[in-house]
Amino acid sequence: MIMINYKELGFKSGLEIHQQIEGRKLFCKCPAIVNDENEPNIKFKRKLRAIAGETGKIDRAAEFEMSKDKEVIYEACSSSSCLVEYDEEPPHELNKDSLDIALQICLLLNCKVVDSIQFMRKTVVDGSNVSGFQRTALIGTNGFINTSKGKVNIETVCLEEEAAKKVKEENNSITYRLDRLGVGLIEIATAPEIKDSEHAREVASIIGMILRSTGKVKRGIGSIRQDVNVSIKGHNRIEIKGFQDLKNIPRTIDNEIHRQLKTKNEEGHVRKANPDFTTEYQRPMPGASRMYPETDIKIIKITKKMLDSLELPELISEKTNKFIEKYKFSEELSRELIKMDIDFESYIHKFSKVNPEFIANVLVEVRKEIQSRFDKEVTIPMIENALGYYNEGKVGKDAVYEILVDFATKGDADLKKYEQVDEKEIEKEIKEIIHKNKNLSFGALMGEIMKKYRGKVDGKKASELLNKHLKQ
Amino acid sequence: MVKKFKGLEKIEVELKDEVYKGIVMPNSDSETLFLKLESGYNVGINIKDIKKVKILDKKIDIKSSTVKVKHNKNLPTVSILHTGGTIASKVDYNTGGVVARFEPEELVSMFPELEKIANIKSIFVSNVFSENLRFKDYVNISKAIEKEIKSGVKGIIIGHGTDTMHYSAAALSFMFDNLPVPVVLVGSQRSSDRGSSDAALNLINATYFIANTEFTGVAICMHKDINDDTCLIMPALKTRKLHSSRRDAFKIINDEAIAEVNYSKNKIKMIKELKNEKGAWKSKNKFEEKVGILRTYPNLNSKQIESFKGYKGLVIEGTGLGHISIDNSPENKKIFNALKKLSKSCVIVMTSQCIFGRVNMNVYSTGRELQKIGVISGEDMTTETAYIKLAWLLGNYKKDQVKQMISTNLKGEINKRIGLEFI
Ligand SMILES: [Zn+2]
Repeated sequence: MIMINYKELGFKSGLEIHQQIEGRKLFCKCPAIVNDENEPNIKFKRKLRAIAGETGKIDRAAEFEMSKDKEVIYEACSSSSCLVEYDEEPPHELNKDSLDIALQICLLLNCKVVDSIQFMRKTVVDGSNVSGFQRTALIGTNGFINTSKGKVNIETVCLEEEAAKKVKEENNSITYRLDRLGVGLIEIATAPEIKDSEHAREVASIIGMILRSTGKVKRGIGSIRQDVNVSIKGHNRIEIKGFQDLKNIPRTIDNEIHRQLKTKNEEGHVRKANPDFTTEYQRPMPGASRMYPETDIKIIKITKKMLDSLELPELISEKTNKFIEKYKFSEELSRELIKMDIDFESYIHKFSKVNPEFIANVLVEVRKEIQSRFDKEVTIPMIENALGYYNEGKVGKDAVYEILVDFATKGDADLKKYEQVDEKEIEKEIKEIIHKNKNLSFGALMGEIMKKYRGKVDGKKASELLNKHLKQ
Repeated sequence: MVKKFKGLEKIEVELKDEVYKGIVMPNSDSETLFLKLESGYNVGINIKDIKKVKILDKKIDIKSSTVKVKHNKNLPTVSILHTGGTIASKVDYNTGGVVARFEPEELVSMFPELEKIANIKSIFVSNVFSENLRFKDYVNISKAIEKEIKSGVKGIIIGHGTDTMHYSAAALSFMFDNLPVPVVLVGSQRSSDRGSSDAALNLINATYFIANTEFTGVAICMHKDINDDTCLIMPALKTRKLHSSRRDAFKIINDEAIAEVNYSKNKIKMIKELKNEKGAWKSKNKFEEKVGILRTYPNLNSKQIESFKGYKGLVIEGTGLGHISIDNSPENKKIFNALKKLSKSCVIVMTSQCIFGRVNMNVYSTGRELQKIGVISGEDMTTETAYIKLAWLLGNYKKDQVKQMISTNLKGEINKRIGLEFI
């Protein structure tokens, strides 16, 4: 592939990031379930009408959808939807937790929060919103993040509703499932200040990290979506949607630049990112958003007091660095610990006689190993109990593993089995074993000893003692 | 400096670190300036933080449609009377304003199907929330109907707020004798500014029904269920709003639908046999003002009954088969005495808060006692229909006649044979 000189090409790029919020939906009390495991038990059909604006004109993207003139079928589970999703009841008051998360994110992105929030109805004609519009509000403006290639401005942070998921499209009907309709979404738009394709990945990754730092956003496939706007000199802006992985962003952008260089200037449009780093035409660029106030929702005044009372979470990047610096943990171990969302510092105080690295290893590595070996869950309380016994000197270091296996597989552990044995008694026993098995190798002798004292004596100690007596 | 804006001016405001450009929204107040930004979003800005304001453009106008409506001599004419609860609203995306539209051109541009069904006349009567309607408004609507009948239209649609649509439908039913045209009340549970509004289907199906059947009389046309396909033509006197927000909120009580209509499938299924009234039409449009409704409940206080002193009519929405607490316990005894006294000057009618089913005051002693002091059974009338009927009867007939007519079926308000129909 030819090297790309982004500056020379007049490369301009900005990101739009959508992140789903955990908890409950934005305007009803339904749980924020994105994929309900239940079979849909509700089905109804609707006809959406184009609501002509003041000029009687319908915008290009709207026309594109309308030309299909389809019946819209909705499927829903009563476990994840209510009358609000069916557009049979007005929205309830805004979910306060979701607002708090949006405000926190604004502050983490150095945004100015607007003084009064007014939700808008953004007209949507493809049927993905039962109401015919998406509720959306501008929460913050004028922020920035720091990147390895300088400051990138954040133009807007919005709080909005997730749309329904399309499950089927036929000649004269489209079917949507309503599980995720109404789940809170944070939308972040950066200024078109991204320097190159790798920088786009970095910006997306930093924003993703900031979002996850709140601990209140959804994880997993589809919970965060990155749309990339790209343009080069002499070509209209193209929007690329649907990246499966952040890692695909640089190569896909570069491919898109090469594609544009080989083609004549096209009308701006939306393209879909393919897993093989190519893109394909999806639909025309949406026209200017058609918005009007959502009068069913009260205007929310944001006071200084409200903003001051928000507790800002420590960023994941800061936490990771702290673990690396303070405890000399590897980056991998630090990240895994943070992912567990536990208060690691409190464990260090609680188990003050235990080496912090051992605690971290039990929490991350030992837990993982037992879980995959026995296909049983090792819970945090189990780990706390086992570490507690060790901290109090009731059992040895090696017993922690054995106790956790017992907890996970049997639900209980017999501590007597692991009680520390007096050193003199072990020495006596070792002498006897050596005496009885004169022909055995060191390893086989160790095996004999550990068979008898597994968990009751530290392996390292046993091997030391064995060595000592073999030499005698 | 912001106060002088009336709204809809395009301005630029400078804050400490930000500059916002947008259109001033009319809901701005003395503390907050609401601006519609170029992105379409509205934001509120604290006025005290504004450092500088620059006017970019004077007031933005809201434009109207330019669709021309042609008269098609092969199609019947249907008049749409607007009373409120706008079935046709338009959004002005420049300003975010939602504007109610009443011109036939606007209706046809919003609902192009109408042009294929009928020639549309559109008449503005009033624009009030239906909870605010008073008897004098019923009279206004009836006068507008009379005018349209005289002009020779095939039928009339009344755009109406849903909250009290069944009261208005009942009033119009009683006011007209031998109504020669269909009068169909249409409302919407989702405002017509949105793509998912139920207004379009209700309006189109009502127009289609009027244009293609020989039905005359008053009816309500609303969604049959939560799907956007079929509407029910419901009997005006036997229908009630039973849900605060669903599009199929209106249900038929103790009766069956007149018809089912599905315009997109060109289908009208007649359910009830039509009994069209013959003879010259006339209207009686007086209502007695001093008529009330009392819903009974456990631990009722006798002062509630006494408060109707001076009333000419009272509908008691009793429990079960038509009961109110009148046994020998002290307060209940007071209630009995108050009722006995009131019934000397006031026509008292009993309906049931069960909503479905008939009042029967012969089964229990309570009912028999109530009859003795003059309480009249409202049969299977809904409370709303009984209330409107009583007010209308008292406005146009003598008390003795009223007592006899209230439990006699006049316009389909009493069904002597209730079938298995329920929700
Ligand atoms: Zn819900």
